[in-house]
Amino acid sequence: MSRRNLELVFLILAGAVSTMAYVSVYTGRFREINRVSIIYGLIFVGIFVLLHLLERIFLPQADPFLLPITALLAAIGLTEIFRIRPALALLQGQWLLAGAALFILTVLIVRDHMKLDRYRYLIGAVGLALLVITIVIGTTVNGAKLWIHAFGFSIQPSEFAKLAIVIFLAGYLDDKKVMLSVPQRHVLGVPVPAFKYFGPLLVMWILSLAMLVFMKDFGMALLFMSIFVSLMYMATARAVYVAAGVGLFAIAGAIAVYVVPHVQDRFAVWLDPWPHASTTGYQLLQSLFTIADGGIVGAGFGRGYLLYANRQPVVPDLQTDFIFTAIANEMGLLGAVGVVLVYLLFVWRGFRIAVYAPDGFSKLLAAGLATAFAVQSFIIIGGVTRLIPLTGVTLPFVSYGGSSITANLILVALLLMVSNRTNIIRGGSDLERRHLAEKG
Amino acid sequence: MNKAMSKVFIVAVVLFVALVVNLTWIMVVRAQWFQDRPENKRSIAKEMKIKRGDIVGYDGSVIAGTERRSGYYYRDYPNGTFAPQLIGYDSVRYGRSGIESQLNDQLTGQASDLGVQNWVDKLLGRRPKGADVKLTLVPAVQKVAQQQLQGKTGAIVVLDPKTGALIASASAPTYDPANLDDRWATLSKDPTAPLLNRPTQGLYVPGSAFKVVTASAGLDTGKVTPDTPFVDTGTYVVFGGKVTNYGGEVYGPNNFTYALTASINTTFAKVGNTLGRKRLIAGAQQYGFYKTPPLPLPAGEVVPSGRYGKNGLLSPDAFMDPLDVAWAACGQEKLLATPLQMALVAGGVANGGRVMKPYYTQEIVTPDGQVVSKAQPEQWLVATKALTASQLNTMMQNVVNAGTGTAAALEGIQVAGKTGTAEKGDGTNLAWFIGFAPANDPQVAFAIVIEDTQSTGGELAAPIAAAIIKTALAQPALP
Repeated sequence: MSRRNLELVFLILAGAVSTMAYVSVYTGRFREINRVSIIYGLIFVGIFVLLHLLERIFLPQADPFLLPITALLAAIGLTEIFRIRPALALLQGQWLLAGAALFILTVLIVRDHMKLDRYRYLIGAVGLALLVITIVIGTTVNGAKLWIHAFGFSIQPSEFAKLAIVIFLAGYLDDKKVMLSVPQRHVLGVPVPAFKYFGPLLVMWILSLAMLVFMKDFGMALLFMSIFVSLMYMATARAVYVAAGVGLFAIAGAIAVYVVPHVQDRFAVWLDPWPHASTTGYQLLQSLFTIADGGIVGAGFGRGYLLYANRQPVVPDLQTDFIFTAIANEMGLLGAVGVVLVYLLFVWRGFRIAVYAPDGFSKLLAAGLATAFAVQSFIIIGGVTRLIPLTGVTLPFVSYGGSSITANLILVALLLMVSNRTNIIRGGSDLERRHLAEKG
Repeated sequence: MNKAMSKVFIVAVVLFVALVVNLTWIMVVRAQWFQDRPENKRSIAKEMKIKRGDIVGYDGSVIAGTERRSGYYYRDYPNGTFAPQLIGYDSVRYGRSGIESQLNDQLTGQASDLGVQNWVDKLLGRRPKGADVKLTLVPAVQKVAQQQLQGKTGAIVVLDPKTGALIASASAPTYDPANLDDRWATLSKDPTAPLLNRPTQGLYVPGSAFKVVTASAGLDTGKVTPDTPFVDTGTYVVFGGKVTNYGGEVYGPNNFTYALTASINTTFAKVGNTLGRKRLIAGAQQYGFYKTPPLPLPAGEVVPSGRYGKNGLLSPDAFMDPLDVAWAACGQEKLLATPLQMALVAGGVANGGRVMKPYYTQEIVTPDGQVVSKAQPEQWLVATKALTASQLNTMMQNVVNAGTGTAAALEGIQVAGKTGTAEKGDGTNLAWFIGFAPANDPQVAFAIVIEDTQSTGGELAAPIAAAIIKTALAQPALP
């Protein structure tokens, strides 16, 4: 079966699962199917059919798993948001529409991701600027300065900066990997590459620390640091970068725990939430209670106890950072583990695309995006389950939030472009190869 | 490059496996543990979707009912404030207390013995309906008890001495259960402790009311009879200290019956030392002192009576010198008692020496009208011989007829009782009156205590007893 037909089969499967979830919410909460929401459901299906058709034309040999996984996660997210706050689901649907538009624009404008390598410094600068703007004019929500308010929207620029930084690092590191892996001199016996190659990376490291201190957000700093360290390692295969990165970040993190009160609170709650049960630890403990209540199979979509009698969610921010808590409660251990495995499946496809890619830039780009996706999912799922300190990042495709869903749809578009190019070079038709050459 | 990528992917796999292991730990291994944490109010919140059973009085009037608002049930109290400290609260924010907590499984239909329909509902996964709980509390009597305490601080316990059924349980100051959530901050910090259920949690110096216990031990062991003569000089010197009478009175020659009638401290101090520490404390234990009365309430909502030290209840074997024994025999020293315990003392005497297990549940009725549980009166303790009980009965009648408790006397009803006035260091008194009526066939036994007063038990508590007895004996039916 061709990749696109396979994708269609997976999309239909994802659609079936999503439909069941949706019906479950409806019968559980409204006892009847509302016509208006069926229309929204059809619009949702329409978006993914459109993206699928776009792939058939422009990305014929792209990976067949990524779009169905995206559709499944987005459907689970929308259904759960609809169940928690019906009004927000409509907004989220609009964001999904906006994300799909950006996906299409990315494919149509970029056509071939190799072009991005030419603009890497520009893209890197844009990413940096987005973060600096956030630090300067950002607003603080829940203690972390991650948002800017503009044009009546709340935008989380770090979600887009994440993509820009990955593109920049992939290009830069592919270019300089030889210089970076061959040490020019030794300092105290440790091999150190020449500063002119190392300099931009130092900027990246300082940037992560600045995020920790100025944005007061451990999660975003950890995400950027992870992207940075893993790309360095993948480019040079030198474990010393991992050791240095982890060590420096650990030191910075330890300092932040003492200096930044918000990070300190989060850390204290993570170590022992019980003394803070009614204050700073309330949210995390409610999350744990709600997850524990899910049991093995859960009550089913729309049937868990997620809203108090006054319609307030049992965990503050349930529809955004704590959406995984709601899923674990309603779908039980099986559903929660299923969602984790779906994320892992996505990550696996990402790395697979990287491994098969024919050139260094494509490899690092795909691997960097997969790393970003993996780390972000891990930080928030680990946070709401108290595996690691809680920090507010979104669960890709599932959490309510416009920046998150649009940025991650662009991430999918980039991965699809890399895999399309790889598969054509490795065995596409002559026609497809000619098209690719024209695009470049 | 590919090798390094594989390694990074393996790290990602390890992290995701850690997520799965942690999820299993929370959702399976520790699930029940999380459920049982006191910080976890999820089960209370969930149970708001269940129609909670009504709590009704002995006459069938609703004390705590439910009101349905958009799919959730809320408690409402159609008859206003009614023994709120005993009934307890049911709050998503502050949890549950009292009967609401103790009988929660019945009230939410989750108990295992609620009839066939309930069993079928559970089997089919339907949401159960709560069972109604009918209490032994008699609203008319409870109302009078609450009225009598209005503006005062104190407690009233009325029970049926023959069954142990609680007829009234009033605690003052009180609160309105309907707006508990809004007023929680004020109520929980109020120094007069309106949330405290004084009848079962309030520990008071029993004072002369305890002389009933001393007399019981004395008569039971044969060390004294109702006619044993004593001489009072106003002071009893013992072990380097002295015992004096209330108000500095001197009574001269008296017998044991008169000593109880007039509440002569020196005589009881002497009887205490004739008995000795062991027999005095054993006599108290026979009435239930040093044990938690078996009234079914959540842990900590019923407390034991006895001698208390800095760290709580002392052992019954704790050392006492003869001066301690002398004052303890008069209900002072380190003795503390709950109003419930003192009502059980009166009930024991009234019931021929046998103390019944106190209870408040008359019956539990399923939503379809089936009675699934009915009160079964049980004996708790044998406090004293039948002969001793009848001698004490006569002596306590004397207290009302010709002694300190004349204010409790009623036309046509023979009341038996004992007053108590415990002087606190701060110049205020605790006014006690315990007793039962009618003396020849007791229907009610009671204990009344008023805190923070200048009056004596005879002046303040005895008239309250009269009002309560009058109302109680006028009722068509008592439990």
